[in-house]
Parts: sequence; structure tokens; C-alpha cells
Amino acid sequence: MSLPTGTPLVVARKLGYSYAPGRFAIRGLDLDLLAGRIVGLLGRNGAGKTTTIRVLTTLLLPTEGSALLFGTDARRAGREVRRRMGVVLQSESLDFVSLERNLTLYAFLWGVPREVAKARAEEMIELFELGPMRTRKVWALSGGERRRFQVARELMHDMDLLFLDEPTVGLDALTRRKILKYLRARAQGGLGILFTTHILDEADQLCDSISVLHQGRLLVHASPAEIKARYGGGRTVEVEFGRPLDGQEAALRRRIIALGVGYLSLPSDPGKICFRAANAEDLVAELMRWARETNTEVERLSVRETSLEEAFVGLVQAPTEPDTAERP
Amino acid sequence: MTNWPPVLRLVVRNFESNLDYLTLIVMFGQPAVLVLILGTMFNNLIPTAATGGSYIAFLVPGMVAFQMVTGGVLSGRLFWLDRRWSMVEQIFSGPFLRAEYLAALLLTTVLFAMAGVGIMMVVALPLIGVPPVSPLDIVVILVTIALGSLFFGGFLIALGSRLRSANMYFTIQSILQYFLIFLSTVYYPITSKTPRVLSTIMWANPLTYAANTVRDAFTGNLGTGDAIGLSVLALLASITFAASIWGFRHIELGPIQ
Repeated sequence: MSLPTGTPLVVARKLGYSYAPGRFAIRGLDLDLLAGRIVGLLGRNGAGKTTTIRVLTTLLLPTEGSALLFGTDARRAGREVRRRMGVVLQSESLDFVSLERNLTLYAFLWGVPREVAKARAEEMIELFELGPMRTRKVWALSGGERRRFQVARELMHDMDLLFLDEPTVGLDALTRRKILKYLRARAQGGLGILFTTHILDEADQLCDSISVLHQGRLLVHASPAEIKARYGGGRTVEVEFGRPLDGQEAALRRRIIALGVGYLSLPSDPGKICFRAANAEDLVAELMRWARETNTEVERLSVRETSLEEAFVGLVQAPTEPDTAERP
Repeated sequence: MTNWPPVLRLVVRNFESNLDYLTLIVMFGQPAVLVLILGTMFNNLIPTAATGGSYIAFLVPGMVAFQMVTGGVLSGRLFWLDRRWSMVEQIFSGPFLRAEYLAALLLTTVLFAMAGVGIMMVVALPLIGVPPVSPLDIVVILVTIALGSLFFGGFLIALGSRLRSANMYFTIQSILQYFLIFLSTVYYPITSKTPRVLSTIMWANPLTYAANTVRDAFTGNLGTGDAIGLSVLALLASITFAASIWGFRHIELGPIQ
């Protein structure tokens, strides 16, 4: 029985975890996950994504704040709470038996009746295209095959909440699409999914909302569209000039910023400029005016929707990083 | 839902996964081969008054006691592989209590040891005949092996829960295993000719108490000394069991080497 869409599955408030006194991996994290929704957890390496999943799967106990899982405090969550959750860990986990037996053995561990397990193993083998390697030992498979297996194995049991820690690492584009489509369908059936990835395109396609972590803290929680609009300026404009700007960058930069740009980048190539803004047309017009005034030939100009990755980079880029970008 | 209790589900999984046939053959076959080879070749070299001069009759109870080490080593290995391949985290995030996982590991240890005892007996009976054991003697033998395997298994699980390097874990396990075996009365008795230092170490070795108790049970000579030995073994098993619980409470999950 799946839960009605919108039922709160995870409610975290000011959640924190420190590995040692004063060494916080995550801090002050607010997070909500509802049944039937997919939340993406994004962040750079070491941002605290895996720690968040470990806390929410009760592998680690929060050291600050609270996390309710199906209404139960994570600190007191026991077997009955975990029975309703599934988790695909970032690290590989496997038993030293054949792929097919790994699936049914895992189902046995979860108490899935034998006949159901058998049928579900067939379904997963089919879905994840694991047929040719069903009798092979899992450790002998390629990295991508092992990842496919790991996701398939977790789907052997029933659950209301699924945690996926970088489930698509090492997968080819076709398999990735297939898995994302399947996850979307499961979410429509009421499953709540918390999903981490470094492939931001797939987060854009899959997630209803996204939480961006940076150095253990929540930077933003919004829908992918909102994040792109708010931090990516909505549109990305890339201009390539016919010659290096030669000392004119500062003046150009001031002129563009004055019109309200979301993000401006002067790449290492002195003849290129890239900016993001909602009012891209005004900025392009201003840019063309400047080009005419300075007799600078515009060789190439493109305007497109800002990708989530570009918005993400603009959002989390540390001030200490090379001075090629700024957010006015 | 499968109605098996969680601990038994985990035991089934412990037996089925992680343990390949070759490992099992080596772990259980090696002592059996030793019984055959040492038992016949050393028969005239080592004085064994306690068993009427037959070295093989002396060796067999020692090798039966040795199964406590085999059981412990297999479970320690299983636990290490579970950590290495993140199955500990996977299981802990599932419908199990940590206590159940530990209980399943220890039960697996005892069952391995018992299986080893069975194999030893199958190999040894044609060589030494049926020993004059009473039902009480059999119970004492099984309790001794169970306590011994809990002691050694608990120790290795506690060790495995703290270390993060496979090299270190398996090096410590191998050294300990060899010291435990060779500095005990598994292969030879403590006599008046045994160097004092050696006999002191041997008396401090829990495997000595296990081997002596099993040997006395085999020959129908159980006495007060064996009761004391069994008590010492029970105490040590309790200590390592507590250590393994402590290790589990403080286990650092995550990748290990």
C-alpha cells in the first residue's frame, strides 16, 4: 500500500552531524520530503550529501536538530521505520554469490516471500538489462553493471521512501534514462525519493525540488526552474569577439553589470564573454552597441536557457576560486 | 512476508554469502589433513601418556578444540568482508538491529565450529575408534567449543570493528591464530620437560583449557580442573563478547582499505 501523495516522509529541522567536536559535516539543515516527490540533494564533493543520507537512514545519529522519519524521531527509529525505507549506498555493496542469487537473497533478508522475490528478480533483471550476467558473480561485473545491480537489488523489497546516493555513477546514457524514467514512475505511484548526483542534467529532469548543500549547510531549496532563474539568471549568453578585448574588459564588465546581470564570466580566452541574465535581450543589445562603439567584431553569439549545472556553479563557486566569475 | 526471525535470516545469508567452497575446504580440510598426517607421523615422537601412548588419540581432541579457532576465523573474515563490501551499512540500514547482526555473526561462528567438530570426527573415528564418551561428555565438548568459538569470534569481531586496514586485520589474525595453536596443548602436552616460559604461556592460552577439557571428555576423565578451565573460558568469552558489543556501538561505517 503506497502512501497518499503529499504525506510527509522526512521532516528535518536544523539537522546537524559532527564527526568530532566542532567538525560538522552538516549543520542547520532543513529538509522536507513528501510521498510521491523526488528531492535532489546537490553539492560539491564533501558538501555533506552522503552524511545527510547516513543520518536519514539512521546509520548515524544526529548530533544537532531533529529528523522525523514517518513521524518518528530518527534517534529512536528502529526496525519498523527502516523496513519502509530503501537505500542505494554510494559505496558498492554485494554478497559473494551470483547476481540472481544476490537479488533473491537480499529479498529473503527483507522477508519478501520466495515466489514474490523470484518474480521481482525477473522483473529487475529485465528492467536493468542484467540477463546476460545473471549467473555471474557480482564482483566480476563491470563498474556500471555493478551499479545497475545495486539499484535493482534495492528495488526487490517494498518501501515508501528511497534514498539514492549517486545511483547513476558509471552508467551509460541509455541506462541512465531508463532508470530515471522508472524512478519517475515509482514516484508517481507514491514513492518518496531523495537523490544525490553530480550529473545535474538528470537532477533537472527528475527532481521536483532541489536542495543545494555547500560545506555542510543548505544554500537553497527550490525547484530546478527556480534555481535556474534565481542563480543562473534564466538565460545564458555567450559572445565570441573577433579579437582579444585588450584591457577593455573592465569597462565592458561595468556596463553589463549596470544593466543587471545574474552572473558574468570572462573566460581565460580574452576574446570571449559569458553572462547569465533574465533580461538577456537588453544585455545583448547593449553588448552590440558597445561592439559598434569600439569597432569590435562579434564573431559568434548564442542565447540559450541556463542549465542547472551553470546555475549550480554560479551558486556554489567559492570566492577564493579564480576571478573569472562574479555575481553582482 | 517470510516469517523467519531476523537473526536466522542473517545466519542463512552468512552461510550462503561470502564463503566460497575453496575457503571452506581449506578451513575445514586443513585440520582434517593434519590429523591424518601428524597423527601417523608423530606417533612415536611425542610422549602422550594421557591417551595411552597414541599420539593420534591425543591429537584428535586437540583438533576438535581447534575448531573454535576455525569458527572464529571464518566469522571474523565474514565480518571483515561485510565491512569491506559495505554490507554492514546495507544491513544496518535495513530491517535489522545491530544486536541481531552481531548475534547472527556469533551464532554463525558457533555453527561453523560445530560443523568443524563433525568433520573432525568423521575423519578421526576410523583412526581412533569410538571414544568412551557419555552424553554429559558430549555436552561438555560442545559447550567447550561453543564458548571457545565465542571467545575467539568475539575477539576478531571486536578487532574487525576497530581496524580500517585489511592488511593489519589479517596480519593480526594470522599471528594470533598461530600463537594460539602452537602455544597450546593442541599438538603436544605440557610435561615436566616443557620449558617454564613455554608452559606459563601455554597455561595462559584459552585454547589449552579447551583442548584439555575436550581431551578429558574424550577419555572420560573430566574433573575439577576442567570445570575451572570451562569457567575461565566462559569468562573470557564474556569479555570478548562485551568487547564485540562495544566495537559495534563505536563502529565507524564507511569505506575501509
